[in-house]
Amino acid sequence: MAFLRIRNLTKSFGPVVAVNDLNLDIEEGEFFTLLGASGCGKTTTLRAIGGLEKPDEGEIYLGERCLVSRSKGIFVNPEKREMGMVFQSYALWPHMTVFENVAYPLKLRWEKKPVIREKVGAALELVGLRGLEDRPAPALSGGQQQRVALARALVFSPRVLLLDEPLSNLDARLRDEMRQELKALQRRVGITMVFVTHDQIEALSLSDRIAIMQGGRLLQVGTPEEVYHRPTSAVVRDFLGKIFSLSGRIVEAGDRFFRVAVQGSVATLTVPAPAAVSPDAFKVGQEVLVAIRPEKVALWNFAPNGKNNLVQGTLESVHFLGDRYEYTVRIGEKTHLLILPALESHKAGEKIFLELKQENITLWPATGTS
Amino acid sequence: MEYTETAPIGRQKASWLPSFDGGLALMVVLIGTLGFYIVYPLLLILINSFNVATIAEPPVYGLKAWQEAFSEPGIWQSLWNSIKIAIVLQGIALPFAVFTSWLLARTNIPFARGFEFGFWISFILPNIATTFGWILLLDPNTGLFNSWIKSIPGLGSVNFNIYSFWGIIWAHLMANGISTKVMLMTPAFRRMDAAMEEASRMSGANTLVTMLRITVPIMTPVLIVVFLLSVIRIFSSFETELLLGIPWGFYVYSTKIVDLARQEPPLVSHAAALGSIVLLFLAAFIPLQRKLIARRQFTTVTSQYKPKIIDLGIWKWPATAFVGLVVLLLDVVPVLSVIGGSFMVRFGFFNLPRTWTLEYWQMALTDSRLLLALKNTLIIAGSAAVIGPIIFSLVAYVLVRTRLPGRNILDSICWLPSAVPGVLSGLGLLWMFLGTPFFRPLYGTLFLLMIASILSGVTLATQIFKANFVQLGKELEEASRMSGAGFWRTYVKIVLPLMMQTMVLIAVIKFMFAAQQTSSIILLATSESRTLSLLALDQVASGGREVASITVILIMALTVGVALVARSLGFKAGIRAESS
Repeated sequence: MAFLRIRNLTKSFGPVVAVNDLNLDIEEGEFFTLLGASGCGKTTTLRAIGGLEKPDEGEIYLGERCLVSRSKGIFVNPEKREMGMVFQSYALWPHMTVFENVAYPLKLRWEKKPVIREKVGAALELVGLRGLEDRPAPALSGGQQQRVALARALVFSPRVLLLDEPLSNLDARLRDEMRQELKALQRRVGITMVFVTHDQIEALSLSDRIAIMQGGRLLQVGTPEEVYHRPTSAVVRDFLGKIFSLSGRIVEAGDRFFRVAVQGSVATLTVPAPAAVSPDAFKVGQEVLVAIRPEKVALWNFAPNGKNNLVQGTLESVHFLGDRYEYTVRIGEKTHLLILPALESHKAGEKIFLELKQENITLWPATGTS
Repeated sequence: MEYTETAPIGRQKASWLPSFDGGLALMVVLIGTLGFYIVYPLLLILINSFNVATIAEPPVYGLKAWQEAFSEPGIWQSLWNSIKIAIVLQGIALPFAVFTSWLLARTNIPFARGFEFGFWISFILPNIATTFGWILLLDPNTGLFNSWIKSIPGLGSVNFNIYSFWGIIWAHLMANGISTKVMLMTPAFRRMDAAMEEASRMSGANTLVTMLRITVPIMTPVLIVVFLLSVIRIFSSFETELLLGIPWGFYVYSTKIVDLARQEPPLVSHAAALGSIVLLFLAAFIPLQRKLIARRQFTTVTSQYKPKIIDLGIWKWPATAFVGLVVLLLDVVPVLSVIGGSFMVRFGFFNLPRTWTLEYWQMALTDSRLLLALKNTLIIAGSAAVIGPIIFSLVAYVLVRTRLPGRNILDSICWLPSAVPGVLSGLGLLWMFLGTPFFRPLYGTLFLLMIASILSGVTLATQIFKANFVQLGKELEEASRMSGAGFWRTYVKIVLPLMMQTMVLIAVIKFMFAAQQTSSIILLATSESRTLSLLALDQVASGGREVASITVILIMALTVGVALVARSLGFKAGIRAESS
């Protein structure tokens, strides 16, 4: 049985259903991420776990303990849940020093003074802020405030740590740094973490498992590799990074492969059959979409020998973006945008060949795509 | 800054340095005018406390007034009474207002916006109206509430007396003591980042502990500002003490000054000596007040602003009943009692053969004294509403948008009137008008009262204008200057139209304050130039309560009525910490 269990969680704000009949199992010691665009219900789910929102329906269990059950009339107040939380705005109390901020949860638990001093010291050590105890909280930089907030949430050894977009207020460089540290911290402490973000890089790089949410529902739950490479829906596919797609029609249905004629091109592509879909989801003659992550596309000035799955096109324009090139490729009537690493340069007006390796492409119905 | 006439387009200016000639003249005019009407009268008080002769006589200097004034125990007593009232009042009102603001801003108490509006109404209600309303209810002999409570078995010996120290405290609490603070603190509480409280809950604190250890401490800077603003105004309090203290010989600072100045023969130099003490006290406090208010950003407003409210659970209903009762006591009870008073044959006597009457209204509406007072009030408040915004928008514009020398002096002058008790500025103006031969014929005319009314809201008006000019994009004016318009054309054609909303707001505020003020004009008015508020004070003092209620109703109509109309037209009164 999973450590943290959410059953049929539903929460509305007026007419807006923020979380809709959500079921989720989170294992002990797991770094679990709720990922989605703003308004998808991820923060509401997190706040319901922490007790900051009262759900309309559903139940939440932590181990053997029932935290919320609408039907049994149970609601455990946030202060009784033994969970730590890091807020997006950090929410450090400006009238307290760093030490007082971190010591607050311990004081509320009637810990003795020497114990408080020792535990606060250890927590600040953990986040690398030893020596800043007497600073007033507002006098710290954004990254330091972030660390104090982490120390405060961890100092009383909570059973779960909740993080609500903790990195979004940091500048890009600091964000990368904190991301590394957060991962390292979780390995050291081993605490169960529930992390909310809208940033797919954060989600992919940090998580043991990711739940992708939209409209208050779960779209897919899986390891970062699973959800990135084997998205089960177009929304997940488009949310997790860029996509390069070509329209086409199925001309041949094999056992495990389909042959797709690309619209506006003479080329046909060999595409593996999607695993998660029933065999007769795709038929000969059906309009489809062939999708690939753009970094998996190779560009050639000529048709290379021994390569298949090639599509010919024309380079309309080339823009230099520093470490990358942005290409506008015309295939038939349509133009496509392609951003590739600046390894070699191609010139505008050239004929080019795009290689789409079959192990990297996925097949989608023509409707319901981005 | 330049005038167009001194720097016509195309004329070669010597350098890129601003030309001072025209701007300097404007500055001199502004400082001269405001200084003459605001600073000079106060200096006169200081000087004349050493003048043994009476007003308009050749001065004879000496220390007699100081000696006599401070050998009389009544003077010390009145100062101490002012301080005592302030301590007790703030001791009750501040915790009360903190708790109420917290309920309104941070919890899920129903009708919070409606209750907040109730406190706003209470702030607008003139002191005279609420005090008079409570007199009708708590007079020891005829008070409606008293006779009501006596009729309850077992409570026959209970009798409240509004003419007492605690009666004065009660009247202050019911007037502005609570409502001003709630109005100032509720928005500040509301701006606080809810995550601060949620972080405390997650750390293991319940709602009450969170309020006491997180919310209120974070709000401390706001509380201190609100508290100090009240402290600065200790000596300004007037109407309540006049109505409730004089009948039993209880004087506070401002009523004592009026008493001294009105004695036969008038002891104006004694009044001046008493005035000087407080001026010296304020000299220390005005810079502090200015600093407090100029520092705008008290609260921690994060970009992730999210108005989350605390669920009170079952405590929601007692809390609603509590705030509802307070609003009822602040607004409905005094207003109803005043209105009732005007229609009853004898107020509170429900068992007379004839209980209700329109007689008093018929009498009042044909009473030439009332009609004269109404006319005076309209003229004074109307002129304050027209002239005030014009002058103070210019002052604020010069302060915000120019680099002229002397801005600091001008700004300081504008801060002065907010802290000086109205009685003192009235006394100073009286001195100036009677002591200057050129002005003497104006004594007894409405002109004096108009000057006093225009000046009484200087600080509030300039602060609101300054805040708005700061927000107004400077590029709009610079574009006008680049198009070839000079200072004045830009001011009239660009700045004023953009500021119209604020101009109307200031006009409304000035009208409201002018229509209800008493302390700053009581020494300047004669029976010919008396306003409605002064008439009401006289009527209450002489015992004509039924007639007085009609006067008070007219004052309420001119203040609350105007405020409600303005609000419904979309002018949200931006009343800030500097308001009285």
